[in-house]
Amino acid sequence: MRYLWRRAAHAVLLLFAVSVFSFALVELAPGDYFDEMRLNPQISRDTVADLRARYGLDRPLPARYALWLRSVARGELGYSFAYASPVGPLLWPRALHTLALTGSATLLAWLLAIAIGVQSAARQGEWPDRLWGALTSGFLATPDLLVALGLLLVALRTGAFPTGGMVSPGFGELSAFGKLRDLAAHAVLPVAALVVGMLPVLVRQVRASMLAALASPFARAARAHGIPRRRLLYRHALRAAAPPLLSLVGFSLGSLLSGALVVEAVMSWPGLGPLLIEAILARDVYVVVGAVMASTLFLLAGNLVADLLLYAADPRIRREGLS
Amino acid sequence: MTNERRFAAAAWALVAIHVAVLGAGFLAPYAPTSQERRLPFAPPTRLRFVDDQGRLQLRPFVYALVAQEGSFGAYREDRSRAFPVRFFTPGASYRIAGLVPARIHLLGVDEPARLFLLGSDGLGRDQLSRFLHGGGVSLFAGLLAASLSLGIGMALGTVAGFYGRWVDAAVMRAAELFLALPWLYLLCAVRAFLPLDLSPGLAFAVVVAVIGLVDWARPARLVRGVALVARERDFVLAARGFGASDLYLIRRHVAPQAFGVLVTQAAVLVPQYVLAEVTLSFLGLGVSEPLPSWGNMLAALRQYPVMASYWWMWLPGLALVPVFFAYHALADALRSRSRVLA
Amino acid sequence: MERRVARTSRALVTLAALLAPGPGASAAEELLVAPGDPRTPGGRLVVGLTAEPKTLNPVTNSDAASRDVIGRTTACLVCIDRDTQRTTPGLAKSWAVSEGGRRITLVLRQGIRFSDGHPFDADDVVFSFAAYQDERSHSPQRDLLFVGGKPIRATRVDAYTVAFDMAEPYAVAERLFDGVAVLPRHLLEAKFREGKLAEAWGLGTPPAEMAGLGPFRVKSYAPGDRLVLERNPYYFKADRAGTRLPYLDELLLLVVPSEDAQLVRFQAGETDLVGRVGPDSFEVLAKDSSARGYSVRDLGPGLEYSFLFFNLGEPEKRPDGLEQRQAWWKDVLFRRAVSLALDREGMVRLAFAGRATALAGHVTPGNKLWRNEAIPAPRRSLDDARALLRRAGFSWRDDGSLVDAAGRPVAFSIVTNASNTARVKMATIAQDDLAELGMKVSVAPLEMRAVIDRVLQTRDYDACLLALGGGGDADPNVEMNVWLSSGPTHLWNPGQAKPATPWEAEIDRLMRLQVVTMRHEERKKLYDRVQELVVENLPVLPLVAPHVVVAGKDALAGLRPAILAPYVLWNAEELAWKGPRR
Repeated sequence: MRYLWRRAAHAVLLLFAVSVFSFALVELAPGDYFDEMRLNPQISRDTVADLRARYGLDRPLPARYALWLRSVARGELGYSFAYASPVGPLLWPRALHTLALTGSATLLAWLLAIAIGVQSAARQGEWPDRLWGALTSGFLATPDLLVALGLLLVALRTGAFPTGGMVSPGFGELSAFGKLRDLAAHAVLPVAALVVGMLPVLVRQVRASMLAALASPFARAARAHGIPRRRLLYRHALRAAAPPLLSLVGFSLGSLLSGALVVEAVMSWPGLGPLLIEAILARDVYVVVGAVMASTLFLLAGNLVADLLLYAADPRIRREGLS
Repeated sequence: MTNERRFAAAAWALVAIHVAVLGAGFLAPYAPTSQERRLPFAPPTRLRFVDDQGRLQLRPFVYALVAQEGSFGAYREDRSRAFPVRFFTPGASYRIAGLVPARIHLLGVDEPARLFLLGSDGLGRDQLSRFLHGGGVSLFAGLLAASLSLGIGMALGTVAGFYGRWVDAAVMRAAELFLALPWLYLLCAVRAFLPLDLSPGLAFAVVVAVIGLVDWARPARLVRGVALVARERDFVLAARGFGASDLYLIRRHVAPQAFGVLVTQAAVLVPQYVLAEVTLSFLGLGVSEPLPSWGNMLAALRQYPVMASYWWMWLPGLALVPVFFAYHALADALRSRSRVLA
Repeated sequence: MERRVARTSRALVTLAALLAPGPGASAAEELLVAPGDPRTPGGRLVVGLTAEPKTLNPVTNSDAASRDVIGRTTACLVCIDRDTQRTTPGLAKSWAVSEGGRRITLVLRQGIRFSDGHPFDADDVVFSFAAYQDERSHSPQRDLLFVGGKPIRATRVDAYTVAFDMAEPYAVAERLFDGVAVLPRHLLEAKFREGKLAEAWGLGTPPAEMAGLGPFRVKSYAPGDRLVLERNPYYFKADRAGTRLPYLDELLLLVVPSEDAQLVRFQAGETDLVGRVGPDSFEVLAKDSSARGYSVRDLGPGLEYSFLFFNLGEPEKRPDGLEQRQAWWKDVLFRRAVSLALDREGMVRLAFAGRATALAGHVTPGNKLWRNEAIPAPRRSLDDARALLRRAGFSWRDDGSLVDAAGRPVAFSIVTNASNTARVKMATIAQDDLAELGMKVSVAPLEMRAVIDRVLQTRDYDACLLALGGGGDADPNVEMNVWLSSGPTHLWNPGQAKPATPWEAEIDRLMRLQVVTMRHEERKKLYDRVQELVVENLPVLPLVAPHVVVAGKDALAGLRPAILAPYVLWNAEELAWKGPRR
């Protein structure tokens, strides 16, 4: 229990440090939101200066940071100049869209990785293993930028998939089932791009852990006992192979928010990535800091979950106490 | 393929690729910035060996391209004159290794024909020349950034592992901070903060510096592990007993161990950094015009008309695949090797 | 017999009730009759927006996407017909100018209601002006409503007449009203009194709390994805057959973040109309057009003009060497030489796929009412450029590089905004062209904000490539802040206390004069002279005017695309579907 509290306190401290860091970083970039209004000849200088004062952009840096911290306490995470609304209500729907995408992609990638990895390990050296090995290497070598662009081209040429966005124009009128189908149709390509990106590392790790588990004495003993192959693989060996995989699960969870930036941008999926890019270009300071903080939160939470899972799953760690 | 063979194959492939981009000045028919404004988005020039009369020519030749009236990006060949391909021909001047001026190119054709072996881009610039020069920029950006990040990681990791206690705690907390930030997000933000109107050379240096500085934490942690282990070894304790200075101990005992780890890490990091440079340039935050890089060449694909109509513009992206493949094979081979040795 | 009469009369009454026109068409309602052919109502239109609207508040909106939406839900008193570029009656049925141009009186239509049924009258107009002009509202439109430094005073003469008084005579006061949306007093006055008007009507506001006089009203909003507008049953326009406009039941605005995604979705049939695409997309769209049932139209040059300009100001902080470099381009011969060396045709061909027009002056051929036709077409001549440079005291070294009289090599940088690929291409072409004169030019694509910061704030740049124009009105008054030497967007030397050069002083005089001149012919003469001065002295080097390219499905009727923004949606109430409904 104390372990949990310590880890949580640690995470909060880190989050605080991250917020200071990213806030300072973004502040140092030149230009601000009202510059584009300045270029519009119909708006006078006084009006623009007026607006700048109102949003506190001419107060010193520590004062701005303090104002922001207070709004975090209120759950607002600061104020977006561009959207004229608190950052929080802006972030969460987008973060949800990203999570829908990355969540399904991660789940799918893990299921596939376990299936492929276990089979490759079981049939080490035979042609399925080699095939998957080659495919995995191929996928690993292909950057997700290229995959996303390629899939978009496929969608354009064949017309078999929607070419971007999250829902079709008539979404509101569809039945519940129709809505689900529409969402799924739009998610196919981005999810495919993400899965292709995630799969290689996961497959390799599963395979390596399984091989280690299968080579261990207990597995050999189990085989000698005559335990059927499938039970051996999934019930026994996979369990033993779990610990390193669990920390990988933690990483997967941690990058749920931030891993899809390029794919979302190319496929126009309305998630956190495009919001961040737009905010960086619009110099919408608080949105940038909010987005970075949100994804950092996930990263830290992911690591925490990984630690917990490991703790729960591996009796050795429980017995030895905390390392 | 045995491990040794795999290692050798990957290493040689990488060497070949890097030599090719180093020799870009010679291998490329044109300067990467020279524009042929009458031929934007020209398709790859067809090398012909059989002329109109059906005779086989030993020396390949090309026809000049002429724009079709009234439309953009459509061309036809002007068959009135054949232009033989010339080898070792003088062309635009370049500098070998940035120092020695030279003018001989491997291939070329006489004006007004153009040898666009990989087509031309929106400003009529030869894609092959830009591909080779740009490859140099992207690949070496990765290498230099990796050297920087590994260098910093080595220094900080050694210090942390060797001296321990509060130094270790400070360095590791800083490392956690950097590791907690989403890497790509951080890269974009940091790059956007630095001045962007730098000369292309300086912009290149800035990109390398940013990528290298942001990612020192992972190598640092690895080296710290090595240093921690090494510190407790008997022979190190013995040497200390003999009065060996810290610097000597580090140089003699920690560094060689760390080196092995770092080389493997390098093979993993370099492709990531190359991809980082490509991504940054793709988003417009990296190397600027007119200096080519595979990233800013791919940025042309962001326009749908280009993506759908001009297939040769995809080549810089496709070239990344074999390069990464070779680096991964190298990394695997190194990892197996170190497993065998350890 | 009586029962039959009763039944018949009941049937007649029911029939009459069924046939009667929609809600609120009381006899007192003065509808505007649109001149076009009557069409079939019904159906939904899907249009892509390239960015997400930030707000629905007409007072505070400052971005194009929000304007697109707000323009459909609100109405103007006097509107500018984008097709003819002349003013037409809107909510005001007539107006009169008096007192030498210092007063304009508008007579409003009677019996009109807001989209929630509440009646509209002069109080709403007076309230709207007060809201826009109020300092607490922080409205970007505030400056539109100031003439001669003083706010325009709106006074209610009676329930349907409003008088506007200005400190100085203002030539085209009626054109002001196009940008001013009329606000519902019954919904916003309370907030205005509290000083909270700027926060009202954000994107999350429930539709029931908003109302407007435009053809549509907000139905729903899905963040990051779409905004759905539905027909306003109380809209004040009708067609010749008496059918109340708009024809469309719904207008769906999809957020499609990039222009390429716009193209893709349009070609796939997911959207029905694209307001404006880059000229280089024409070929791609035209290829499939007949197969997929849409047409692409190139409307010719719009109002937007791209230009190169140099830093002619006196920056307070002097970055090293800037003063020496400025000595080069402050000489008008240098600027003329640069202009002669630029390959505008190449820019048209490469940056715009041939769909742009080379410019000599800053008023484009699309601006038929104001263009000075006497200005000759631009030409390119490297020899003449070199002759001018020689006259200015420059010379060439053996390696071809250009040096000034003191022997310093000519080298400078051009900044432009990175997100606009056409501009980056133009800058790269300019770089190549100037290399032929021996100048070493580097191109620095920056984020738009950084560019603006440098040009207007720190003045830390050599040359810059930007574009202006492309708004909703072609009148010179729109660009006063650019051409006046004291103007904040007088890009090459903003905010001068007094004009730095005699020609800038002359332009100031001419621009101020044309504001108070009432007749168009005289104003045009003044503005023609301004154009001549610009071409002679080249504070900006005009480059090209991109064409406006729009595309829409063939089944869509009523489309009257124009080169003024918003290019296809400005007459959204007249759009309808031919044939079977969607």
